[in-house]
Amino acid sequence: MAKSDPLRLLLAPVAPAMRRLSAVAVLGSLIWPVQAALVALAIGAALQGQVAGGLVAGFVVLGLGRVALSALADRMAQEAAEVVITGIRHRIVAQEALRAQRDTGPGATASLAVEKLAALSPWITRYAPASARVAVVPLVILVLAFWQSWAAGLIFLISGPLIPLFMALVGMAAKEASARQMVEIGSLNDLLVDRLAALLDIRLLGASEAVTQGFSAQAGDLRQRTMAVLRLAFLSSTVLELFAAIGVAMMAVFVGFSLLGQLGFGTWGVPLTPAAGVFLLLLAPEFYQPLRDLAAAWHDKAAADAVADELADWQAREGLTLPGNGARVDPLAGPATIGLRGCVTAHGLHLPDMKIAKGEAVALVGPSGSGKTSALRLMAGLELSAAGNVEVAGQVLTAPMVDGWRARIGWMPQRAAFLARSLHFNLALGRNGDADAALKAAAAQQVAEALPRGLATRLGESGGGLSGGEARRMTLARALFSNPDLILADEPTADLDDTTAQAVTAGLLAQHAKGSTLIIATHDMDLAARMDRIIQLGNTR
Amino acid sequence: MRHLFSILRQILRMQRAALWRGAILSLVVLLMGVSLLGLSGWFITAAAAAGLAGMGAGFDVFRPSAMVRLLALGRTAARYGERLLTHDAVLRALEVLRLGVLRGMLQLAPERMAQVRGAQALNRLTADIDALDGLVLRLVFPLGAGLLALLISFAGLWWLVDLRVALWVAGGWLSGAVPLLWYLGRKMPTPSRRMEAATQALRSRFVDLMQNRDDLAVYGLLQDQHASILQADARRHALRCELDRADRQAGAVLVALTAIISGGGLWIGLDLAAAGMITAAQAAIGFFVALALAEAAAPIRRALADYGRMVDAARRIGPGLGAGSAVQSAAVSAAAGGISCDGLSLRRPAGGMMLRDFCLAVNAGEMVALTGASGAGKTTLLLALAGLHHAEGDIRIAGRSLEDWSEPALRNYLTMLPQRSELLSGTVLENLRLARPDATEAEVWAVLEAAQLGAVVRARGGLDCKIGPRAAGLSGGEARRLALARALLRRPQVLLLDEPTEGLDGPTATVVLTGIRKALPEAAILVASHRRAEIAAADRVIAL
Repeated sequence: MAKSDPLRLLLAPVAPAMRRLSAVAVLGSLIWPVQAALVALAIGAALQGQVAGGLVAGFVVLGLGRVALSALADRMAQEAAEVVITGIRHRIVAQEALRAQRDTGPGATASLAVEKLAALSPWITRYAPASARVAVVPLVILVLAFWQSWAAGLIFLISGPLIPLFMALVGMAAKEASARQMVEIGSLNDLLVDRLAALLDIRLLGASEAVTQGFSAQAGDLRQRTMAVLRLAFLSSTVLELFAAIGVAMMAVFVGFSLLGQLGFGTWGVPLTPAAGVFLLLLAPEFYQPLRDLAAAWHDKAAADAVADELADWQAREGLTLPGNGARVDPLAGPATIGLRGCVTAHGLHLPDMKIAKGEAVALVGPSGSGKTSALRLMAGLELSAAGNVEVAGQVLTAPMVDGWRARIGWMPQRAAFLARSLHFNLALGRNGDADAALKAAAAQQVAEALPRGLATRLGESGGGLSGGEARRMTLARALFSNPDLILADEPTADLDDTTAQAVTAGLLAQHAKGSTLIIATHDMDLAARMDRIIQLGNTR
Repeated sequence: MRHLFSILRQILRMQRAALWRGAILSLVVLLMGVSLLGLSGWFITAAAAAGLAGMGAGFDVFRPSAMVRLLALGRTAARYGERLLTHDAVLRALEVLRLGVLRGMLQLAPERMAQVRGAQALNRLTADIDALDGLVLRLVFPLGAGLLALLISFAGLWWLVDLRVALWVAGGWLSGAVPLLWYLGRKMPTPSRRMEAATQALRSRFVDLMQNRDDLAVYGLLQDQHASILQADARRHALRCELDRADRQAGAVLVALTAIISGGGLWIGLDLAAAGMITAAQAAIGFFVALALAEAAAPIRRALADYGRMVDAARRIGPGLGAGSAVQSAAVSAAAGGISCDGLSLRRPAGGMMLRDFCLAVNAGEMVALTGASGAGKTTLLLALAGLHHAEGDIRIAGRSLEDWSEPALRNYLTMLPQRSELLSGTVLENLRLARPDATEAEVWAVLEAAQLGAVVRARGGLDCKIGPRAAGLSGGEARRLALARALLRRPQVLLLDEPTEGLDGPTATVVLTGIRKALPEAAILVASHRRAEIAAADRVIAL
């Protein structure tokens, strides 16, 4: 049961609702024995030549009552599922929004928060009510059966101790079922995704036909292996059904023979009445039904377990928190100066002390891993130094003021990325400024014009693609957009052809000429030479 | 709906036998369930009547009770077979669907291919395919089998009981379930589609947040982006609630139908029995059969819950499914002769001109570098020369016009290394043999050496060293060189290289470029280049 603990924990916020909905679900199931009794009495009366219309009407009315109760239970379960899923999702989003480090795989976190969490829903809506029913309904039916006939009760009682056996079988089936799902869908999708990612390569290598045939063969092979697993997995639930079938058949035979008067035992003195016989027959399948429902929903639990595990992994991932909250605030007052004193990066690297004056152009140079990017991130207030301090605009940078400080910065990241919004939105990012002037300053006018819908083109995967150099120029245009008095640029010319590199450099220097402070981290010594000053990183201690 | 049908037709065409087997067994299971309950009800009531009449001794108990046992056990066995066969059919349908997607995508234009391989697009595609996986198992089989079981039950009730009972039971289920299907079938797709869109928006905004976190923080938009994620989730939530409500309505209607139809069936039967037209036992059959038919109707709810999503997915997937086309690879014997173009014009996607009246000739044995600012059209030109981008003007390969080349012949003669090359997960050898399935190990090692990868592969345990998805386990430069080695293994007469040494340091780049020329001394090589090493290695430089 240790495995179910993380799942129970997930349900904590809706625990009272779950108890209520379990009660409603059980109540709904308990209407059936009453309905069965009414039908049994009606058939019994018919054998006496009477039409008991009232009993039949009662059967229908109770049936409608059952409709209402099960719809209510469904609604409570669906609502509880949404509360749980949205709650976890919002927690993930909130925490990821303020994570300080760049993560390597946003796709995995996004799948967890969006698609995988949805796998909790069937578990909450199907498995939880089924497990509540299985605890009550068979017991009630057992008591009712004993009340009518001890032999009928005995038939159920004998299959009663078999229930733990059923459960074990069901557990085995579940294990195989989850393995099956992994094998079946997962692998085939992985195979497909792998090939779709390499479409152009496959086509250019003339391997289209070979790849499709290979895929087809692999899929066929996978199907055969999956079917081998399924033949076993389905066997366990078939055994469960077999026991239920034998139980029902035994009941029918016992009742039939008793009614014919060929069995003289099994009742409390008086012979079994026809109504009691029909009643027992109607109860028999319902005795086993909750178990079968639970078995059918076991797969949902396995899926939920997998989600809970992944959620625990996500929670275990530690990380620095981004200072500030990233909201738009009024810019911090004071000159655009930066000083680093005794700073240490998140990786434990000591950075040299430096003081950069207003309007200065500085290059941070040094080998890879010497802390250039970290220094820029400290200056931008994207991380706070573990030791020492960063002084900006004449004061020590602290978490409450980072938002105001960041509001003054033009930022050019090393790796250009855009939101899946229009180019214009990506340039402006909600600020006031002149898009045309910024594009012109970044030598990116032609790039914008070449896009299918100009500034209105949607960027990101689904929209117009930009080449590496074009994207770099767009990040420059974005940095220059609001005419900032401080620009931080990380490797602004890396991997650019000479013409584009010249254009980017010119754009940065033009902004510097207007009086802005300019700090760049670079490998490019030609670019570094054009700054006022070079600060060497990587040879401190 | 139309696309859903066309996907179904395609699955049906390719896996007819498997589908029929599964469908027939689904029906058998339903019919055995209905017969079992009907027979047991009749047996008990008839036995009670005989007992009351004091004729219990003369009642033939053995045939009915044997039938009850046979049906109970037979149904369990049929159920097992049904599960196996329908899952087999589903797995086959999965294959057809995925193969169709792969075939269709391989025929796309390169810019569409680039869109497909994005993580978001792949995610959406697999989500759509997964949604369609249930088409056969959850929609077609249950609805088809349910309808047939209903019709057969009608005939059975008419024969065994009475036409009035048969009409009430079958007519009741038909007139209840069909309008329900029709109503919800029309109502569900719109909210389903909108919920899917909201879910995709949620996902893409969340990915955006994580990918652009620094930029958003610096420009003060992090909280706005966070709010927009919650907004998308709120929209998704509202639509989810709407769909849940419809799902509950469907469930409630089905349970209510069960109560009304079985209760009504019982009442009609009892009435007829009181009038002496049928026996009480026959009346019981009508009731029990109506009750058992609830099992045939139950999957309707599940089917309706998935239906909207399937229609939406089919709309996106359906049009792109490629039919099976067996392309025969034919050897081509063309005179050696390089590649040339004359009066070539290339358009931008926006419609403007990228290149006008461009001329170029690369002769056999020559390496030419193509330079120009990014966005000048280097990549597009290479794609046009490779026959993958529409261009106006004359392109000649080995003296023959590009239009006269068949796809296999062209791919045999010309190879291109795209700007962003991808490897398949598998071993190094498997990746290389993709280029030439019959390559010997010696040939494979030769191209690895040419790409300066020999030492790397040996250090990792040789040709059987595994590469993960998306080249996991290799550095960017190693993956690039492996893709290059793969292109070399095709031994093309024309080799187009798009920034081949991206991610390599200067000295390695120079050695690799020398290796390429040594490996293919006769080939005409055109390099779209932005690096000094590439320009230095070329015999000629052409600026765009």
